Amino acid sequence: MERRDFFKIMLATPVLTPLILSSKKTGNDLELFLISEEPQMFLPLLLQQIQEYSPNEGRTFTFLNPHPRENGLKKTLSEKGWRFAREPATAHLTLSFGYLLNKALPSFTLVRKGWIRDIRSRKVHPLWQEMNKNHAPSSCLTIASLKTKTSVPSTGEFVSMYRDGQKIEALSLEENEEKSYKTQGGRITVQIAGGKVWVTESSCRHKICLYSPPISLAGERIVCAPNHFLLEIERSSSIDTVIG
Amino acid sequence: MNAPPPSTLSLAKKLFFLPLTLFLLSGCAVKEKWHTSTLLVFDTLCEIKIFCSPSEFKAAQENVDRIFSEIESHFSPDAEDYSSSMVLDLYRRALQVFTDSGGCFDITVAPLSRLWGFLSKSYVVPAHEQIQSILERIGVEKIKEEKGTLILLPGMKLDWGAIAKGFAIDLASRSLIERGISRGFINAGGDLYCWGQNPDSQDWNIGIKHPRQSGFLGIISISEQGAATTGDYQRYFIKEDVRYHHVFDPRTGYPAEGKQSVTVCGPETLLCDALSTALFVSKRPERIMEKYPDYGAIIVDSEGNLSFLGKIFPFHTVD
Repeated sequence: MERRDFFKIMLATPVLTPLILSSKKTGNDLELFLISEEPQMFLPLLLQQIQEYSPNEGRTFTFLNPHPRENGLKKTLSEKGWRFAREPATAHLTLSFGYLLNKALPSFTLVRKGWIRDIRSRKVHPLWQEMNKNHAPSSCLTIASLKTKTSVPSTGEFVSMYRDGQKIEALSLEENEEKSYKTQGGRITVQIAGGKVWVTESSCRHKICLYSPPISLAGERIVCAPNHFLLEIERSSSIDTVIG
Repeated sequence: MNAPPPSTLSLAKKLFFLPLTLFLLSGCAVKEKWHTSTLLVFDTLCEIKIFCSPSEFKAAQENVDRIFSEIESHFSPDAEDYSSSMVLDLYRRALQVFTDSGGCFDITVAPLSRLWGFLSKSYVVPAHEQIQSILERIGVEKIKEEKGTLILLPGMKLDWGAIAKGFAIDLASRSLIERGISRGFINAGGDLYCWGQNPDSQDWNIGIKHPRQSGFLGIISISEQGAATTGDYQRYFIKEDVRYHHVFDPRTGYPAEGKQSVTVCGPETLLCDALSTALFVSKRPERIMEKYPDYGAIIVDSEGNLSFLGKIFPFHTVD
């Protein structure tokens, strides 16, 4: 597939718009979007490549939501020296799974601080060709977020709801409530209690959002790709102190 | 209310709490969290925010208080200490900035502040002749260092105000970092040092006051850096529609012209403090900054125009 076509598909996939936008915000310096049925085959090599963009030496990873290839990814990543971490907020690499509405040719792209970067260097080019030639179209999207600094977990203050890439509402984590949102494909219901947020009901097919564990730390997200819906825990990025 | 999905979470919880339980059993569990406090030092409020355990916080506070008191005893306007090692050290640093700034930064301006009434707060615009005679007693180059003590000419007096606070902040923050406190800031009346990440796990967002309006000129995002601002709005009086402020040009004896505020960022708060004054006074601030490649300045000129010099730090304006 041509790079141009690839971007067209990527950008026309509404789920990516909020993801790209939020990747600019969350301070995840590098986000790799990988469409492949077998991400475990390609991710370690791609990570090796993109780490050249990032001086980070951190080698722990975790999953933000259940991934259909979780075991395979754990295996191939640990073979390359990555360690599995349970706390998302302390891991250097977080992997999340997204489900694409339509199957797309296997491909990958790197977003760095909100900008799309070309990483098809000479080393990666054969991989790109191999992916395109020998692998079937897939609706499995793997998002690998790399942080250049290990962040210490910080509790969120509110949860923002993004629908079709637009922020529609922000709710305080201190108020306990349940709220439903109409989406293009149906509806999604979100519960806030005890400073945590989770999805209690969703019209989507795979219910990945429903099975995602509750989130409470700044930067954590639950994505419902079919509903084009994203929840993200945020803090007011207020001024820490004043001089002058 | 629907309960959260149980399976993965409860497993994760169990596995997460296992090492924690072991840690608790080992009897050295300490809960680190954010602590803030304010101390009154140098006649200004000193704000401290650090990430540590409650017992560590108490010790840290005492430590900072002790350092600030010590600095204050050596460098207050009434202090006449010319021979302690601390005074000699800071004098040499001040002398370096004096040389690098072509005399724009000068710790001997105390007689000028007194003449203009900034020490007694009974402000006057002195006669030109008075200023000229005072200028004979101004200039770091007139100080001699002999046998471990500073020799001043009769009538000379030191004003450590534009460097001692930065020095104190450096000492205090270094002592906290040595104690193992990995994140925090110390902000003493506008001079600041910050290190580690802020509560959002980002660099620290420091608002810089607007020199003429309420609100902010902008926000700088920094870490492992000091910052200090010198402005014509901090201490001034107005006589016959003219604003006379406290930052004197040591070469003319009059308040320095051409700028409303200068903020300097860089690794040492001491230098940020001294350089912000030097740049405020200097007509050629870029020449000074060439000598300090790790430092950056945000300058507001007398028309209110913003400009940047030296190293660039993330800066954004607020809506």
